[in-house]
Amino acid sequence: MGKPSSAAAPLAAAEARPGRDGQGQVPAGRTAARTPEVGTFARELPLMALVLALLAGLIFAASGDTFTLNILSTAFLFAGLASAWNLIGGFGGQFSLGHSVFFAVGAYTTANLYLRAGVSPWFGLIPGAALAALVAALVSWPVFRLRGPFFAIATMALTEVALALGNYFESVTGGTRGLSIPFRLGFANMIFRDRLSYAVLVYGFAALCLLVVLAVVRSRLGYYLQAVRDNEQAARAAGIDVTRTKLAGMAISAALTGVGGGLFLMSVRTADPASLLSLFEFGVKFALIALIGGLGTVYGPLLGALLIVPLENWLRAEFGGLAPGANVIVLSLILILASLFLKRGIVGALQSAADRLRRGWP
Amino acid sequence: MSGALSVQGVSKRFGGLLAVDDVSFDVQPGELVSIIGPNGAGKTTLFNLLTGQLAPSAGRVLLDGRDVSGLSPNRRAEIGFGRTFQISQTLTSLTTLENAMVGAFLHHRRIPDAARRAFAMLELVGLGHRAGVRAGVLTLSERKRLEVARALALDPKIVLLDEVMAGLNPTEIHEVVELVQRLNREGHTFLVIEHNLKVVRQFSHRVIVLERGGKLAEGTAEDVLSNPRVVEAYVGKGRRP
Repeated sequence: MGKPSSAAAPLAAAEARPGRDGQGQVPAGRTAARTPEVGTFARELPLMALVLALLAGLIFAASGDTFTLNILSTAFLFAGLASAWNLIGGFGGQFSLGHSVFFAVGAYTTANLYLRAGVSPWFGLIPGAALAALVAALVSWPVFRLRGPFFAIATMALTEVALALGNYFESVTGGTRGLSIPFRLGFANMIFRDRLSYAVLVYGFAALCLLVVLAVVRSRLGYYLQAVRDNEQAARAAGIDVTRTKLAGMAISAALTGVGGGLFLMSVRTADPASLLSLFEFGVKFALIALIGGLGTVYGPLLGALLIVPLENWLRAEFGGLAPGANVIVLSLILILASLFLKRGIVGALQSAADRLRRGWP
Repeated sequence: MSGALSVQGVSKRFGGLLAVDDVSFDVQPGELVSIIGPNGAGKTTLFNLLTGQLAPSAGRVLLDGRDVSGLSPNRRAEIGFGRTFQISQTLTSLTTLENAMVGAFLHHRRIPDAARRAFAMLELVGLGHRAGVRAGVLTLSERKRLEVARALALDPKIVLLDEVMAGLNPTEIHEVVELVQRLNREGHTFLVIEHNLKVVRQFSHRVIVLERGGKLAEGTAEDVLSNPRVVEAYVGKGRRP
């Protein structure tokens, strides 16, 4: 070691003498130490492409069946929204129940730009996403001081505030009567007669969310979010600006959620603040789907949405007529069981099953 | 890169308790200085003042002549403070390698670069073979070494180790002592809180004794540990015959 105090000295030392300084912990006969492979965006892109191709295949298979196509569209929309939520809620550990606020901000921005200024929703989605990110950054700043359940409750309260504001500013939201978008067919208006076009549209949204999440998770920000989730003190000592990391994660998550809001309002064409800001329909559901699928995993929210959305539809058909709310009770029971027995979600359960197989345990 | 630490009249008051009372000392680049003292003497509080987890009530902390007193822990990590914690703070859902990468990202933005740097640090502390394991399953000794690796991955000017030997068996202690000595020979500056006086005697260039928040003595291990006031602080006043 010529210049022992140089920054690279320990690095060079370790690489020049692989394994020798392992203090006897290194198994004998082990050959040169090479850095183990780490997941990168490029390395995981083929798997993502395969998953997206399978999803496209689903649309293709269902293309003649409007009923299935509708369920699939809803599932894709929620797959995207839950993936977006998962970025800050799962990877970042900030259990937000206020994402319906960003959803509504995106929806109203896109719709108002279209209705008032004739801006095509295709372009209106961008300011919708930007405004959702801005609102998210502004409201999260004070709320990030709170941890765990307190954070969740505070974000829930944000939803209530947003609802009051939504009902008050009638000119933007249509108030309690809701906002209606006239049915004017056309690609530029993002209004289609056939359900297939909508299915392809939300498929694109789900794909966008999955790709953005994968890119973020396999970047420095992704590791920083997970470090902050695991231990804020350790994260700070490692040079991480905890607040900035949370804000960045929240802003990206909210931007995607805002895009989802814009797409949703343009496809249903009428919505009032109470339904856009409904905790059960949106705010909590994003979290629930991610939770069931697998918190802090790239594909968990997708699996969760593909499972929960059809299940919900089936339950509504089977039990909805039995007694009012019977389907909700059954769904809630299933969710309670899932949270008891699938602690790490479907993806977690699959992972441990794969681990057991690999170890040769029955 | 050097690592000259200057602590000037630092105090910390918690309500009516003066946890750290007007402590001053210097650490020269390349030195290995130990801080000892009975339980509750204020050692960890002093560390937290140096690395920014706590804000001092009075006094200044300088690294290489730069006043860092008002800066956040993450800013101080950027400037050159690497530390471990008394109660190990492992990122349990990440792998061992990813834990070290979180430190390496400070100066290596790209994933492959950070991974290479992180793995080199794991090899350095003898954890290379555990790189792919989830850090939550590591033993206590491995977690402590992992924290050292994460701190080193920051490329720090000075490394602060808070009771890194506590809870380890004699073999493991021997390993960690060798590791710290080797890193010190390679040019790393160390400030170490240590209870094991045998270890302190073995590797310290200089020893600082804290008692009730104040600096009681400072000097070589031999001088300090034979100082009657230090002995008294540790074992109490002997009854004179």
